[in-house]
Amino acid sequence: MILQALYDYYQRKAVDPDSGIAPEGFVWKEIPFVIVINHEGDFISLEDTREGDGKKKRAKKYLLPKSVGRSGSNGWMTSFLLWDHYGYVLGHARSEGEKDQVMAQKQMLSFIKKIQDLPQEIKEDNGVLAVIRFYDQRSYEKVKDSDKWEECSKIIGCNMSFRLDGDSSLIPCNTSVQKYIADQCDENADGVTGLCLITGKRGEIARIHSDTPINKDSKKFVSFQRSSGYDSYGKEQAFNAPISKSAEFAYTTAMNMLLGKDSINKVQVGNTTSIFWSQKEDVFEAIFPSFFGYNKDNPDADVKAVKTLFESAWTGYVNTNSNTRFYILGLSPNSARIAVRFWHTGSIGKCSGNIKQHFDDLEIIRPSHDRGHYSLFWLLSAIAHEKKVDNIPPNLSGQIFEAVITGGTYPATMLQQTIRRIRATQDVTRVQAGILKAYLNRFHRIYSTKEKETITVALDSNNINPGYRLGRLFAVLEKIQEEANPGINATIRDRFYGAASSTPVTVFSQLLKLKNHHLAKLDNEGRKVNFERMLSDIFAGIDASMPAHLAMEDQARFAIGYYHQRQALFTKSSSNNESKN
Amino acid sequence: MEHFNKTFCLEVKGDYACFTRPEMKVERVSYDVITPSSARGIFEAIFWKPAIRWRIRKIEILNPIKWISVRRNEVGQTASDRSEGIFIETARQQRAGLFLRDVAYRLYAELEFIPHPNRTETKRSVPEPLLDTWEKEEFRKDENPGKYYGIFERRARKGQCFNQPYLGCREFSCEFRLIDGHTTETVPISETRDLGFMLYDLDFEKNVKESSPAFFRCCMEQGVINVPAWDSEEVRK
Repeated sequence: MILQALYDYYQRKAVDPDSGIAPEGFVWKEIPFVIVINHEGDFISLEDTREGDGKKKRAKKYLLPKSVGRSGSNGWMTSFLLWDHYGYVLGHARSEGEKDQVMAQKQMLSFIKKIQDLPQEIKEDNGVLAVIRFYDQRSYEKVKDSDKWEECSKIIGCNMSFRLDGDSSLIPCNTSVQKYIADQCDENADGVTGLCLITGKRGEIARIHSDTPINKDSKKFVSFQRSSGYDSYGKEQAFNAPISKSAEFAYTTAMNMLLGKDSINKVQVGNTTSIFWSQKEDVFEAIFPSFFGYNKDNPDADVKAVKTLFESAWTGYVNTNSNTRFYILGLSPNSARIAVRFWHTGSIGKCSGNIKQHFDDLEIIRPSHDRGHYSLFWLLSAIAHEKKVDNIPPNLSGQIFEAVITGGTYPATMLQQTIRRIRATQDVTRVQAGILKAYLNRFHRIYSTKEKETITVALDSNNINPGYRLGRLFAVLEKIQEEANPGINATIRDRFYGAASSTPVTVFSQLLKLKNHHLAKLDNEGRKVNFERMLSDIFAGIDASMPAHLAMEDQARFAIGYYHQRQALFTKSSSNNESKN
Repeated sequence: MEHFNKTFCLEVKGDYACFTRPEMKVERVSYDVITPSSARGIFEAIFWKPAIRWRIRKIEILNPIKWISVRRNEVGQTASDRSEGIFIETARQQRAGLFLRDVAYRLYAELEFIPHPNRTETKRSVPEPLLDTWEKEEFRKDENPGKYYGIFERRARKGQCFNQPYLGCREFSCEFRLIDGHTTETVPISETRDLGFMLYDLDFEKNVKESSPAFFRCCMEQGVINVPAWDSEEVRK
């Protein structure tokens, strides 16, 4: 189903002339340096096609004959047509070593041979003829004298191609060359034929599939190493899964386009790269990545996207009733291969509904200075060591992603990890409190256990859960201490949060004793009474005995109770201030 | 002898299942639903003889399709009777897999009786000198499909099997129950979806040594998949 959906995506893009997807037999490649020659094959200049500044310099893309896989000791025998890296084009070795020097010479010879083996009518093309003359006259030696050569040789394996002086496009982009490549695809070579499992038609079966770039590396999505336990019924390599060459080209091209550098259909969260696409063009595709990733160019993209989603009911910008299918594929590299982490298909309407539900679950009261970032990136960074998303345990990001899209329960590890973070930092942030609330609310909604208590966005004075009450109590005790000792550096939170949230009985008796001393220090009698009333309100809901320890879920409620109460204390005081003014 | 194939129905369920797709069998990804060949394996685990052949005709999906991603250790080698065995420590591989979770199906299969002359020679047939003359003359004259229908029904009802049936991989064993139509049963899920081309089975008929896979377009309609007959045009071999 995955390959079929990718194949369909390619077909959809192929009919659209503006999509810029490569036709069969071709590939879009960045060519940083172009050798300009004249009709006689003389070297004119070396042209730099890159634009932009510094590290962001990007070369111009050209539609070129497709690259082919080459590896092993005989890799040098395979070269691309009229473009390749400098080893093939100029015989420039990557190092001074003798082995590399010999290899580069061999590569160049096979590059020249590839051009000379072209049929006669192609060789009569002006451009191709010029390239043949270029090599006959050994003009390639002059390229290295060019003033731009130094910069070109700095790029490891710099791709190069040719252009006729006066022409605007490259020689491999000439119509006669392009026609030749397209014709070659239609001709059936004498390979193994069989039934293609994507199209269901008979055709020539691909032995090796093309590479797919992922996480700065290039790996194959469908590959079978020989004699490693994957060969079945005497079939080796990709013959294990018969896929015709044209279907193979279609799905890899579609996938590479989705995974490409400038792709908007891609989100990377943790070590999982997710690509997504819809059956038909839809605006949902455009706002989808903002829910998950972190956009460096536009840090507030997620806020805007969420706003769009919530307002969609009125504006109709995102069609929440759409039945168009939406595909999400989570990929992550696993020992030289690409593994599928998750695969989700559903209608756009359902998918956007689930995402909205996620933000509803996550919603929690926040201080006015908090701008409120929502994307999955921020969520993960809130539960990661040192706030680095790389420190997230493997699989967790994928599981959360899946829970958001499918509307299922969040993984239990999300709760545990959050509580571990809270105890380590001895503080509860807005995002962390939101995560805990989302987990508990969703869990109770799906499993509808007896405890029918949903956690509210702001302080809920009717919640009598001991964990929640103790969290509130802790927040009030901390506030009393802060008011008794203005400008204090470390409060009881910094010392006792961990113990108070897990084994309340051990610390609360001491904290309550401490509270009496703090209250005694307060000058304002009214404030004192206020606090006492607040404490007795909270105590009214707690059973006579203090619980000896709190379970994981109750520890989560403790954190939420603490956060809610603290927010309430601060909003109240600010409203008091306003009324005074 | 004139006879009709009898159709049997089994309900199977399990916690996990992996009907590995051929294109993604290294880092395993399962098909969305059970394949006909895997369903055949379940019937054969309960009862099989060279005299019969199972033909899967219908699959009903009783639980919604749920996925789980698991990373586990597998063996990166195939065993051969000529080798001295596999030493697991040197052949271990860590692979990620996308499996199905909480699956339940109702499988309908025809038990096809193969008359004696049409049977393929088994590897362990009785050697010539051991055969009695009367056995040769009278050999299986009393054989009829009803006998096999009876055997299967008895075995399936009692829960007997040659090996525990499983859902795609040996480690995902399943429980099974014979459905005989007297009880009210759960209804299939209400989902209609085109599941694309799916492996039907391997075709050993053309060439035993070099078998080739056969595919069919798998369409789920209201949770029911009608499996085309093996010889029909819909099965692409």
